[in-house]
Amino acid sequence: MDSHLEALAALNALGMLENDEKRALDGAIAREKDLRLLNSALEQTVAELGHLIAPVEPPADMKKRIRAKLRSRGAKTSTLSPGLLLGGLGWLLAVGLAVLSATLWQSRAKLTQQVAAASQAIAPVVGAASAEDDGNVRTLAEELKKLRDDFEAKQTALNQEVTTARASEKTAQGRITQLTAEVATLKEQSEQAAMKVLTLPASTVWEYRRGEMLVVWDRLRRQGVLMLDKMPKVESGRDYQLWIVDPQQPDPVSAGVVAVDAKGAAQIQFKPATAVNEASKFILSLEKKDGAAKREGEILISGP
Amino acid sequence: MPQPELSEEDLLQRAGRGDVRAFNQFQDAVAPRLFGLLRQMMPDGAVAEEALVDGFVQVWEHASGFDPAHGSAFTWAVTLVRQQAIERMRILGRRNRLVDAAVLEQAVLSAPAAEDLTDTRSAAVFAALKQLPKDQRRLIEIAFLKGLTGHVLSETLEQPIATVKTNICGGLFRFRDLLKGGE
Repeated sequence: MDSHLEALAALNALGMLENDEKRALDGAIAREKDLRLLNSALEQTVAELGHLIAPVEPPADMKKRIRAKLRSRGAKTSTLSPGLLLGGLGWLLAVGLAVLSATLWQSRAKLTQQVAAASQAIAPVVGAASAEDDGNVRTLAEELKKLRDDFEAKQTALNQEVTTARASEKTAQGRITQLTAEVATLKEQSEQAAMKVLTLPASTVWEYRRGEMLVVWDRLRRQGVLMLDKMPKVESGRDYQLWIVDPQQPDPVSAGVVAVDAKGAAQIQFKPATAVNEASKFILSLEKKDGAAKREGEILISGP
Repeated sequence: MPQPELSEEDLLQRAGRGDVRAFNQFQDAVAPRLFGLLRQMMPDGAVAEEALVDGFVQVWEHASGFDPAHGSAFTWAVTLVRQQAIERMRILGRRNRLVDAAVLEQAVLSAPAAEDLTDTRSAAVFAALKQLPKDQRRLIEIAFLKGLTGHVLSETLEQPIATVKTNICGGLFRFRDLLKGGE
C-alpha cells in the first residue's frame, strides 16, 4: 500500500486533513479495499482514546433537547415512521396469516413486538408533544438567534475590513502623489545638475589655430572648469581672459584671467564676476594685463 | 419487572431497532465522556452542548448500522460524534485558529479513575498510550482532543509540519499495534 495514503489515513482518523487531502483520500478509499479497511481500523484506534476522557456532566435538559430535535427532524425525515408503518402493516398481515397457520402465528407475535417497540419509540414524542413544542420552539429560536448573531458578527467584521481597506487605499494614493512629486523634483534636480562638457572650435586667428579649449559648465552651481592647451605665450602687458555670454545680459560677463604655463596649458576653476542665468557661449579673448571689466580685446576662441 | 443490565452494545442495537428506552440508557452511559470530549474540542459550552445534542441525534439515526463485530458501541459513538463536531468546527471557522499554550496544557488524556479500575479496556488503552514516546503521545493527545488540522497544530506547537505528521503517523500505528497486543 502507498505509504503516503497510509499516512493520510492516520491523519484522517484524527480528523486532521485539509479539504484537498480528504478528497484525495476518499477517492483512494473508494478504489482500494485494503486502504478502506486500514482507515476504518485507524478510526477505531483513535476512538479508543475516548476511554481516557475525563467525564463532564452533560446539560440537565440534554434528553429533552434531543427529543425536540428528533421530533423536528422526524417531520422531515420520518425517522420513526417506517418502523411504525411496517410494524402496523405486519401486525395486520400476521392476524390474517394466524388464522391459516400456527407457524405464521410466531411471525405475528414477532411483528407485534415490533409494533410495541415502535409505539414505545413514538410514545414519548407524541405524549409530550405539547410540552415539547415549547422546547422545540425555544431550540429553533436559539438556533435562529445564533445564526443571526453569527451573521451580524461576520457582517460587522466585513464592514470593518472594507473600512480598513478604504483607509489603506487613501493612504496609498496620498503616498503615490507624494512619491510622484518627489520623483519630479529629483528629475528636475538631475537635469539641472547635469554638467555641460563643451569642446570649443579651433580659433580662426592664425596664431591661435592650434589652441584647444574645453569648458565644463555646472548649470546648478553656475561655475565651471576651463582647460586650455597649445596656446601661444601671451605677449607682455596682456592676458587671456574668459567671458560668459548670458542672453539676458547686454555684455559678456567676465569669468577671470587665465594664465597658461610654458607649454601653453592651463586648468582653472572659474565663476562669473556677476550672476548669470544661462551660459549660452564662452569666449576667450586677449585683454590688457590683469583683465578688463568689459570685453575689448580680440576674440581668440568662442563657442559653442 | 427489573431488566437485567444490558451492555452498551445491546443498548445501541436496540436503539437501532427504535427502542427509545434503550437509547435513553445509552445516553446515560456515554454522554459524560462524549461531553468531556466536546468540551475539550469546543471551549464555548453552548456550542459543545449543541454538538452533543446533534451528536446523539446522529447516533439515533445511524444506530441501525452499528455492527458490534467491528468495534464497541462507545468507540462507534465517539467516532460519529467527533466527526460531527469537527465538521461543526469547520463551519464555524474554528479549525484554523491557533490554540493558547494554557489551553493545550489542559488537553491531556488521563489515567482511569480509581472507580474505573475494573474497566479493563480503559486500563489497556492507557497502558498502550503510555508506551509511546512522549513527543508522539503528546501530539496524538492534542490532535484528538482539539480537532485541529495538521497545519494549525504545526503553527500552534511551532514544529515543522513534516515533524508533526511523522510523529503522529508513527505514534498512531504503534498505538494500534499495542492495542492489538503487539510490541
